[in-house]
Amino acid sequence: MLNWFKRRGKSSKSYQTNEEWISAIKPPPEDAAILQLRTFLVKGLKASLHKYVDRDLNDFVEDIAQDSLLKILDKYDTFRGDSKFTTWAMKIAVREGYSELRKKKYEDISLEQYSSYDPDEKEAVEIEHDQAGPDQVTHESMMLNKVQAMMEEELTEKQKKVIQLLMIDQIPMTVVSEMMDSNRNAIYKLVHDARMKLKNRLEIEGINPEDIFNQM
Amino acid sequence: MKLNIDVLKKIISKIPRTHENEIGCDECFDELHTFAEMELEGKSPEKVMPLIREHLDNCGECRQEYQALLDAIKLLN
Repeated sequence: MLNWFKRRGKSSKSYQTNEEWISAIKPPPEDAAILQLRTFLVKGLKASLHKYVDRDLNDFVEDIAQDSLLKILDKYDTFRGDSKFTTWAMKIAVREGYSELRKKKYEDISLEQYSSYDPDEKEAVEIEHDQAGPDQVTHESMMLNKVQAMMEEELTEKQKKVIQLLMIDQIPMTVVSEMMDSNRNAIYKLVHDARMKLKNRLEIEGINPEDIFNQM
Repeated sequence: MKLNIDVLKKIISKIPRTHENEIGCDECFDELHTFAEMELEGKSPEKVMPLIREHLDNCGECRQEYQALLDAIKLLN
């Protein structure tokens, strides 16, 4: 009878403090803690994902919560205690959810099918404006070609390809990183390095980027 | 690569704010939970973590996840 009460007491336990959470989810994790955490993640994910998922929101969120739980259990010991444990856990679930959402949209499409990247294409596209006068169009064309030429000279093939995919083809960074067997952080850094190269080149050429922007 | 005027504007607009010490998505993610809690408590996290704020301004995907985290936490707390 005492054991029954103990078990019953355990299953209705509510975890509040970080210490309670950590002690409950370290191996072997308590079922009641997993259940409470899963319920928490599902609620939060539904609130933040409902605008983006047209159908089967419940199934999608359940899957994400499950995958997130595995990740949380796997790296609970990296939690530094600098926030509520549940905020840290939700952060992991939200990233999982949005990454999956972005990938889902592009599944079954290969990089080659989706990208318009052509390494031999060195010219900027023609500019079409309804309202701009001929002087404005000529000026913008010159500016485009100048920056395009700088990028062709300064950036690596990989940087150019990634910029094309992200900015022109508008493929999400999560998807680009997967397509290129990389990760989001590395892709972000690659583009950052490209921006640095362009910034330095503009400085050498004595061109103020704000002036270019204001003239466009 | 073929630029068009919108893409060019996007690239050029980021150049003045580009610098060597920018952080990436991983470093941003490492601090995102504390940044979110500080923001919800009205503690101006951008003052103590300006590089996180800057990354969120620069990176659409991290910004989207941050907003989603705020929405979820607001609802649940």
